[in-house]
Amino acid sequence: MVTYDSGCTGAPEAPPPGFLARTLFNSGHKAIGLRYLWLALGSVLLGMLLSLLMRIHSVWPGVQIPFLSGFGSTPERYTALTMFHGSLMVFLVLTTAPQAGFGNYFLPLQIGAREMAFPLMNLISFWATVASLVGMTAAFFVQPDAGLTLWTASVALFCFAALLTAFNFTVTTLDLRAKGMTLPRMPLTVWAWFINAILSMLIFSILLAACVFLLSDRLLASQFFSPLAFLSRQPASLVQSTMLSLWQRLFWFFAQAEVYVAMLPCFGIVSHLLSTFSRKPVWAERAAVLALCSVGLFGFCVWGQHMFSSGLNPWSPLVFSLLASSLGLPACVLLCSWFGTLWNAKIQLNTAMLFALGFVSLFLAGGVSGLFLVRNDLAAASISDEFVTGHFHLVMGVAATFAILGALFFWFPKIFARHLNETLGKLHFWLTFAGVYCVFMPMHWLGLIAHSHVSSSDAAVAALGPSPLISISASPSASLRAFVTVATILTIAAQVLFLLNFIWSLWRGEKTEGRNPWRSTTLEWRVPSPPPIENFGVREPVVYRGAYEFAAAGVVEDFAPQDVAPAPSARASQMKQAAEASTKEN
Amino acid sequence: MAGTSIVEDIELIIEDIGGGGGKNPPPGGDDGDEGGRRRGPQVPSSRRYATAIVIAIVSIVMFFMAMASAFIYTRANSNRWVPLHLPSVIWVNTAILLLSSGAMELSRRRLALADVRQFRKLWFVATALGILFLAGQLVAWRQFVLAGFYVSTNQASSFFYIFTGLHGLHLLGGICALLYVSFRKFEKAKVSRSVAAEVASYYWHFMDGLWVFLLALLYLGK
Repeated sequence: MVTYDSGCTGAPEAPPPGFLARTLFNSGHKAIGLRYLWLALGSVLLGMLLSLLMRIHSVWPGVQIPFLSGFGSTPERYTALTMFHGSLMVFLVLTTAPQAGFGNYFLPLQIGAREMAFPLMNLISFWATVASLVGMTAAFFVQPDAGLTLWTASVALFCFAALLTAFNFTVTTLDLRAKGMTLPRMPLTVWAWFINAILSMLIFSILLAACVFLLSDRLLASQFFSPLAFLSRQPASLVQSTMLSLWQRLFWFFAQAEVYVAMLPCFGIVSHLLSTFSRKPVWAERAAVLALCSVGLFGFCVWGQHMFSSGLNPWSPLVFSLLASSLGLPACVLLCSWFGTLWNAKIQLNTAMLFALGFVSLFLAGGVSGLFLVRNDLAAASISDEFVTGHFHLVMGVAATFAILGALFFWFPKIFARHLNETLGKLHFWLTFAGVYCVFMPMHWLGLIAHSHVSSSDAAVAALGPSPLISISASPSASLRAFVTVATILTIAAQVLFLLNFIWSLWRGEKTEGRNPWRSTTLEWRVPSPPPIENFGVREPVVYRGAYEFAAAGVVEDFAPQDVAPAPSARASQMKQAAEASTKEN
Repeated sequence: MAGTSIVEDIELIIEDIGGGGGKNPPPGGDDGDEGGRRRGPQVPSSRRYATAIVIAIVSIVMFFMAMASAFIYTRANSNRWVPLHLPSVIWVNTAILLLSSGAMELSRRRLALADVRQFRKLWFVATALGILFLAGQLVAWRQFVLAGFYVSTNQASSFFYIFTGLHGLHLLGGICALLYVSFRKFEKAKVSRSVAAEVASYYWHFMDGLWVFLLALLYLGK
């Protein structure tokens, strides 16, 4: 097994690792990061197919798809389908790709370290993630009751893996930074990974505790949430108010913050891309860092936002509503920072930049509908309807996917030493960008239509259960729903372009010239592509500058890499100025 | 709110730890060694392990706080709460665990005086007391079962078993760490004995405090 030993430079070379050590048990941070990305790619493709199935079943219930019609044909199967789609996308794609995937690959490179702090732990975490994916997939195929137990166990395993990863990220960032890499000099990507690691460590502990309770209820017949024997003898209102509310609290404490776990690394990546391709420093960098921190902090205080209608103390919705609205503040700071960076810039509009701009657009559009949902009086009636679905898919799911794609186009030359094809990439971007707006914007509209129906009809319609919409399928919303489904099919079809581009470019893409094709400043561009196993070799980088010194004074090109020392003349003049200042003080 | 204060604590910790950063680097380039310094035989920083254990403790605190808040919430809202009679042996166990922590501190003092023999003896005592505590917890479970309380009997007994069980599981990890410090030959290891002992002792004392907290919760909340 390859384990990292930082003290072995003088020791004789280790024998070349065997096949297993290079593949399954390779604990190098780049190998692990890349494997996480492959895992996320597989999961996102599967998740998209599931969403396609869901859309088709919900719009044309009678249609028979060869081999697949069994999935989702009954209400239980349809629920399982939704659950599997959600678990795959949230856990294995949105949580994994930006943090564990790109983070594992680029965090050590960007801070000038040789490895993560605990490589073996990283390896365990990766395989636990794989096992949880297998468990979730198996849970989809077995009987509903056993499936739920298996799903809970898989989620608990995923929590454990996420905790190990978060732990590793935090220690690495705190302790393995290169000489001179002070906190203010860290790239915003590193800041985002770091804050995100701290946030994940706190919230995944809570989900783990909730899963342990649930597993213990299911396997050991303990009485934490819903002792069935007891429930059957009690009035339903009592059951609703005490037992389920506990699970809701624990779950939403995790789940609302999980949104920010998915988004934080994307904020960092987008800031990084916007700055690099605008050839300008990040505008108000410190404010952006503070905004990232406060997203993490506020993300903790808003779980009640999902429980407006579940019997809270009547005052608490007001508090949660205010707290949730206050999340708009850091979001505005980030938006201002992005627009400030773009202002008056000579923008290089390549595919990576397009995806970063697409992220800003989607984040803004999805965030505006969030303003409606934090209003407790408006949101109380809208649990799990299509307005909410449209909102969180736009702001969390699709926006984060755009950031991931932008990061992929940006870092592909470093990982594989080849470029992704720009023409195909831009075509893919525009089709997807138009597609996701066509899918998720009408969903907001559908939610509003459903509201007007529910509020005008009698209580009997509302009492039909979680989806009173079924009863009104003959209304104008039916055609809108069909439109959404067709748009989904076309958008997913457009992803074939990306897959073709990705696979073709892996072997036939245009080779990158030099180490730094984007003329970027951070440390990962100072090593060859793909980076060698020990990253920086015998020379450990020393950092002299901030991460975004574009168009800095005293440099020949329009950017200054972080490890380039200030020119002697510049330093002399600085020292001279300092000396003058001190004489003035005297 | 629990989460908020912990995040603030972490930020305090971050400010405290300079990492690889700290002050500006010495100006390079004068000796022709531009943009890099030669990597010497690098000693892994001991701070890494101390940082790691602090972060792990924060995470475990969060885990048990979720459970404790579930306990408090259920206790306050349940209308069928049956009070719990803690098995008597649990008080003996608590004394044993506290003694174990004390023995560990004495042993670390010996280590600070470079008295490795005495250190080992006392460290063994601490480890043995830890194992004794675990055995005592099993006895407590046995007493509880004989009294007719199972995991599924009522809400309080469910919480009792899950608290003691998960604490025991975490403590088992601590015992592994103590045994590692006892039997590892530190001449070849990446960490020094004192760092390993320090890190293990942080965790051990934390387990001690956590147990006192959980016991107080179960006792006062019965």
